[in-house]
Amino acid sequence: MPRHDEILNTVDMIQKENLDVRAVTMGISLLDCHHETVSSTCQAIRDKIRRYAANLVSTCEAVSAEYGIPVVNKRMAVTPIAHVGAGFDVAGFVEIAHALDDAAGEMGIDFLGGFSADVANGLTIGDRALIEAIPQALTETKKVCGSVNVGSTRYGINMDAIVLLGQTIKDLAEKSAEQGGFAAAKFVVFTNQPGDNPFMAGAIHGLGQHEVVINVGVSGPGVIARALERKIARVGSENLGLHDLAEEIKLTAFRVTRSGELIGRQVARALNVPFGVVDLSLAPTPKVGDSVGEIIQILGVDAVGAPGSTAIVAMLNDAVKKGGTFASQSVGGLSGAFIPVCEDQVLANAVRDGSLVLEKLEAMTSVCSVGLDMIAIPGSVDATTIAAIIADEMAIGMINGKTTAVRLIPVPGKEAGDFVSFGGLFGESAIAPVRNVGKSTRFVNFGGKIPAPIHSLRN
Amino acid sequence: MTEISEQYVISIMSRDHIGIIYEVARAISDLNGNIADVRQSVLSGYFTMILLASFPARVTQRAIERKLAEADAHSETALEAMVRKADETALAAFSNDVENTYVLTATGADKVGFVATVAAFCVKHRLNIIDLSTTISDGAYVMILIVELNQSVPINTVRSDLQQFAQETGLRVALQHHDIFRAVNEINLPLR
Repeated sequence: MPRHDEILNTVDMIQKENLDVRAVTMGISLLDCHHETVSSTCQAIRDKIRRYAANLVSTCEAVSAEYGIPVVNKRMAVTPIAHVGAGFDVAGFVEIAHALDDAAGEMGIDFLGGFSADVANGLTIGDRALIEAIPQALTETKKVCGSVNVGSTRYGINMDAIVLLGQTIKDLAEKSAEQGGFAAAKFVVFTNQPGDNPFMAGAIHGLGQHEVVINVGVSGPGVIARALERKIARVGSENLGLHDLAEEIKLTAFRVTRSGELIGRQVARALNVPFGVVDLSLAPTPKVGDSVGEIIQILGVDAVGAPGSTAIVAMLNDAVKKGGTFASQSVGGLSGAFIPVCEDQVLANAVRDGSLVLEKLEAMTSVCSVGLDMIAIPGSVDATTIAAIIADEMAIGMINGKTTAVRLIPVPGKEAGDFVSFGGLFGESAIAPVRNVGKSTRFVNFGGKIPAPIHSLRN
Repeated sequence: MTEISEQYVISIMSRDHIGIIYEVARAISDLNGNIADVRQSVLSGYFTMILLASFPARVTQRAIERKLAEADAHSETALEAMVRKADETALAAFSNDVENTYVLTATGADKVGFVATVAAFCVKHRLNIIDLSTTISDGAYVMILIVELNQSVPINTVRSDLQQFAQETGLRVALQHHDIFRAVNEINLPLR
């Protein structure tokens, strides 16, 4: 029998500390669904999704019941649709989005990612059509999520694409003004986008992946927060160094990731589908006790955003990776700590109180997992400034060889200090102020490309 | 020609002191008995052991009991022994199948009937308790049981009944697959 304390800690992890498998995402290649006409392509897409994903939700629920660990979200990711719909026009891409939405609804999953394109080194005609289709596609559908990869360490940053997407984000928000601009929460701009990330809204089933695959995202900010609190209470903060806290995070991250590994492999086995990766990202939800911001506070800052916050996030991110990597046979996706403002009560409060500002968030993204994520900004911010914010974030990713992303929601009709609520997992937040609006127009208007960094020449 | 042998189950209880296992093992080997499997534990200064041993057919149950009585006479403290012929069907039915084991924990105030109440739930749902341990945690009494799920009672039924049981008794209960505990606390991932 395992040791008593190990048993009781494990029980508490699941019962009290919100340990769960955050996402089981089935990735499906739709490359062979590209047919001569839009309607036969849509039919092929619907048929293929039906064929592979028919038992996804029920299998997840059965495995979840067997192990007693909740599988919170069952999702799908498909080949970036720019490939699947290459040659079709804007209307064709919108129709494909609807086909994806229908299939997702039929399968009972909550989101389907992949209305996407990779334009890091240039835009094809198909890419342009997809980008133009995004506002309509993502506002008319419920479950479809999209993304565009505009940069990579290998190829540089496509500034022309960023110019387009600054406007895309505005359009998405304006077209969904009644829901507070929510459609923009279903769209992400990336640099170095991974092809196996199970989390929305940036999930895609990239090129070079299996025909079908199961990827799993675990999560346990609550587990880590409680473990740190216990350690501090037991030993006393005066007897602990940051390295001790890092070690506690690492050990806890091992346990959290192991749960996901176990569940993910069982689901894959039950579905007779290859197991891809565990994404060991620390992903918060608005639920109390499920916050990454809280961990940052426990690690020593009274307000998230205060000096020390970047160092803390760096340490947290690294410790999570170390513990998680040993726990899983194959780690992938984003695998780090997420700081999505709306989805984390403590972060949202820090923005409301003014202690966490956009510039500090940007600094933190250089050492954490994703980027400027789920941040509500004033609806009055113009497309050019948004493009410039994107460019900053993309540059961090390109130079540092990491994934960075932007998911901003310019809330129509609201200004800094106002409040917006999206409900459910998407949470709520105060609108974050954006400084220096409208002062980046000349930079953005240059367009073109930011060349690949010198260290991309590795041959 | 190999002699036919008979299998016996022997259980021992005694105040714990150095030498008990030697005394018992010596007694068995004096009768040409071969110990196949042993389990032992010590609780609050008392030693208990259960073992499976095979003896040549000419050795009777009475002979084994007498030999152990001799060990008792020479022992530092009283050594209670019980000897039974092993039932063939029991031995055959024993399986090493660990696929369907769960960890059931029950936490609550220490009071008369705690263990019986939880055990009654297990009986009702045909859960076979294969390991049991208790501890105190945060002032509350905790029962930890490793149980084997019988295929005839579906896990969902057990779970929903367990929730009801928790409400009726006021105990905090949890039922988790054994693999989870092994996965998060051991180096090797338990993959079936």
